Amino acid sequence: MTSVHHTRYVRFDEGRCTGCAACLRACPTKAIRIRDHKSIRIVDQCIGCGACLRICPAGAVSAAVDARPDTIGRGHVAVALVSPVLYAQFPGVMPGGVLLGLHRMGFTHTVDMSFFLEMFQYAAEAFITRNRAEPTAPWPLISPVCPVVVRLIAFQFPSLLPHLLPVLRPVALMAREVRRRIIPLHAPHAPVVLYYLNPCATMAVTPGSGHRAAETAIGINAVFIDLKRHVEQILGSDMLPFATGGFEFESCSSGNAALGAMPGGEIANMDVDRSLSVHGLEETVAYLHQIEMGRLKDIEYIELRTCRESCLGGVLTAVDKYLARRNVQKMIDEFGLGRRLPRKTVLRLYARGEFQPEHDPSSLTRLFGGRKAPLSLEEAQRVEATLTAIAGRDCGACGAPDCLSFAEDVVRDGARMSDCMWVHARCEAQKEKPS
Amino acid sequence: MAGLTKTFFIKARDFVHAGEASIRVQQILKSMHLDAVLIRRIAVCSYEGEMNVVMHGADGQLVMTLETGRLEIDIRDGGPGIPDIDLAMRPGWSTASDDQREMGFGAGMGLPNMKKNADRITIECPPGNGTRVRMTFDLGPGRGAA
Repeated sequence: MTSVHHTRYVRFDEGRCTGCAACLRACPTKAIRIRDHKSIRIVDQCIGCGACLRICPAGAVSAAVDARPDTIGRGHVAVALVSPVLYAQFPGVMPGGVLLGLHRMGFTHTVDMSFFLEMFQYAAEAFITRNRAEPTAPWPLISPVCPVVVRLIAFQFPSLLPHLLPVLRPVALMAREVRRRIIPLHAPHAPVVLYYLNPCATMAVTPGSGHRAAETAIGINAVFIDLKRHVEQILGSDMLPFATGGFEFESCSSGNAALGAMPGGEIANMDVDRSLSVHGLEETVAYLHQIEMGRLKDIEYIELRTCRESCLGGVLTAVDKYLARRNVQKMIDEFGLGRRLPRKTVLRLYARGEFQPEHDPSSLTRLFGGRKAPLSLEEAQRVEATLTAIAGRDCGACGAPDCLSFAEDVVRDGARMSDCMWVHARCEAQKEKPS
Repeated sequence: MAGLTKTFFIKARDFVHAGEASIRVQQILKSMHLDAVLIRRIAVCSYEGEMNVVMHGADGQLVMTLETGRLEIDIRDGGPGIPDIDLAMRPGWSTASDDQREMGFGAGMGLPNMKKNADRITIECPPGNGTRVRMTFDLGPGRGAA
């Protein structure tokens, strides 16, 4: 019998797990343990970064997204919420062609997220320029766009929560607009299902949580083959690949639609000079440490993404990140850059408070803070003493990610010292010594 | 009772590993769920102290001592010392080289920041005998208690 363990974002299949420990070390929150060689335990918060999924050589980790491409549009109105990463999977195809392909796959509506990213960029610019002269503001402000970055801050750097730019995230702007404009067209007469077409495993969908519409997530890799077939058919026909009427955000013809998925793409179009773009999990953690220790105060805005090559490197993409980046570059060369929204309109919405985040950032610690109980001073001392006694090499053979985590497990949960290979080997050597 | 003491070696001019001791100190304090703002104050102080050794001093060490209700960061190095402490305490005063400034350091806020964030700070630099900076933090009643 195999058992499957879930976090909110990923599933572990013990039947496939070989106990190699690669995921333990990759996990930024050190949440995974392997007991008795292949029984997986989740002991702390999962922030949905997908590092375990990316690194597992046995295919034992999968994203907890459950939508299947063959049921799209069957018995419901299907709405595709399209990450700009999707456009980057199709070299030489305009975004409009990709959206038309989605219609052919069974989606009634296609919502282009890059439209909302642009709104967000104007609002972010407005916030930064208006608060620029405020020396006591929490500089640098940190982009709230990548949900993994937001959760990482709540988990490991709670003192940096005030640094999160207090502007409603593009995905939230998009969801609100869909609720306001698309769902009322169909509900309650026809059931509506929102499909988030995601490049990463960061979307937690709670069944039944939708507003008169069910929400589900599906990886770009899961729709890619079908979609590619439709897109090729469209390109092969004489039909011009322009979508479909509907709201402005349901079609897309600008070259910078995919720019937002690229490293530096969020800040490239923003009118903020002192900005910085950092991508990759280790790099993001390193920069958050730097900010926590008081550096980078002269930077106004920092775009952090936990995936290499930003969202193009998401773990549920179909095309490799470097090829995808080339595709985006070519698209920009061919179709040019441009903004679709008049700044004035967005600033009017801004003045009306339309970009106010719904939640106070401190509420994030409740959702994504660490799950472990605090160590007392005496316990902290025992952890350090245990660490010294192990004198190991962070090998992971014990089933913990590193020696420090193992030492904590010994103190907190009574993990056995004999599970440490180094301790065990030294014990054996002692026994063999002639007395 | 004896507290928790950890000693870290700091290598002069090693910008790649600079800050690691401070990160490890934070890790311990975070595992004890100390207040986030307090941890940040401690982080700023230990990092600035560490960077001072990396930039201006010779090899040195950082010693963290955690006791009931109190934390001390004690940083020592065998460098040239601080010729004029009052001047060094002045915001903006810096002896950093142009190279170091290009790397984003040397804003002259090191010691002022440490003074601002620590509950108590003492600086000793007997001529020719390096520098010793000791900072203490009150962890509040019941915090860090055994």
